Amino acid sequence: MAEADTRAAFGRGFWILAPLWLGVIPFGLAYAVTARGAGLSLLETQALSSLVFAGSAQLSAVGLFAAGAAGVEIVLTTLLLNVRHVLYGVSLGRELRLTRRERPVAAFFLTDEAFGVVAGARERSFPFLLGAELSLFMMWNLATFGGFLLGAAIPDAEKLGVDLVFPLAFLALLVPLVRARVELVVALASGALAFGLSRGLPGGLPILLTGVGGSLLGAFLARGTPADRSIHPDDAAREVA
Amino acid sequence: MSFWLTVAGMVAVTFGSRYAGLALRADLPDFWVRFLHFVPIAVFASLVAPSLEGNRSEWEIRLAAAALAAVAAWRTRQLWVAIAVGMGAFWLLRIPW
Repeated sequence: MAEADTRAAFGRGFWILAPLWLGVIPFGLAYAVTARGAGLSLLETQALSSLVFAGSAQLSAVGLFAAGAAGVEIVLTTLLLNVRHVLYGVSLGRELRLTRRERPVAAFFLTDEAFGVVAGARERSFPFLLGAELSLFMMWNLATFGGFLLGAAIPDAEKLGVDLVFPLAFLALLVPLVRARVELVVALASGALAFGLSRGLPGGLPILLTGVGGSLLGAFLARGTPADRSIHPDDAAREVA
Repeated sequence: MSFWLTVAGMVAVTFGSRYAGLALRADLPDFWVRFLHFVPIAVFASLVAPSLEGNRSEWEIRLAAAALAAVAAWRTRQLWVAIAVGMGAFWLLRIPW
C-alpha cells in the first residue's frame, strides 16, 4: 500500500470509532475516580490505562486493590475478564492477513470496540484496524488523566458516597448483556454467590470463583443451543468494556 | 513493588489473550465459546452484588439508587446516563427531608 493510502486508511479507522468516545470518556472518568479513591497514584492509574488498556479489567483491579486482594487474585481475574479477546483475535486473524510484525501491534491495542467496529465495516486492512485501535487508546488515556484530576476536586469522596460509582458502573455494563433468560439466571446466581462468598472470603477470591462458576453454569445451561461465534458489532459497542 | 509486579502480570495475561487469537488458527470447542460468552455477565454481577451495600449503613437508599440506575441502563444503554441517574437519586434520597 502506498503511504498516502496507508494514512487515509488509518484516518478512516480513527474516525469510524469516534462516536464511541461518548461511551469511553465517562467510563475512563469513572475508572480514574475509583482508582484515586482506592489510593492509586496518578502514575499507577495512568500506567494501567496505557499498559493493560482494558476498561473492565482495570476497574475490577482497582476495586480489588481497594479490597486488599492478593496480586495473584487480581491477575487471574484479569485473565478471566480478558480471555474473550482470544475469540476476537481468531475472528480478525481470519479476515485480515497480518504480517508477523503487525500481529503484536494489532494485539496490544485490541479492544471490544475496535474489534466490533472493524468487524462491522467492509474495510479490512492493518492501518484501518490500527487507526480504530489508537483512536480508543488515545481517548481512554485522556479520560483517565482527566478523571484523576477531577477526582482531586472531589473533597471528601467517601463522605459523598462516590464509592457507589463502582457498582453502578458495573451494573450499567451488565444490564445490556442480559438479553435471554439464561443470561438473567447466570447474572442473579452470580450476584447471590458473590454476595455470600464475600462474607467469608477475603479480597478477589469471591469474584474469581464466581466468575468461573457463573460462566460454567451458563455454558452448561446453554448446552445444545448453537454457540454464537460471530460477535455482533453492536454488542461489542454496547459492552464498552 | 508488588503493585508493579501485579501490573506486569495483568499485562502478560491481557496481551497473551489478545495475541493468542491472532496467532492461532484453531477453533475453540462450543462449550468454551459459550463459557466465554458468560464470563462478563458472571464477573460483572459478582462485582456489583458485594459492593452495593457500602459500609455507612445506607444500604436502602444505595439499593434504590442502583435499581433506578439499572432501569436507566436498560432504557438508554448509556453508561454515563446510568451513573448520573444512580448518583443523582442517591444524593437526593440521602437528604434528610
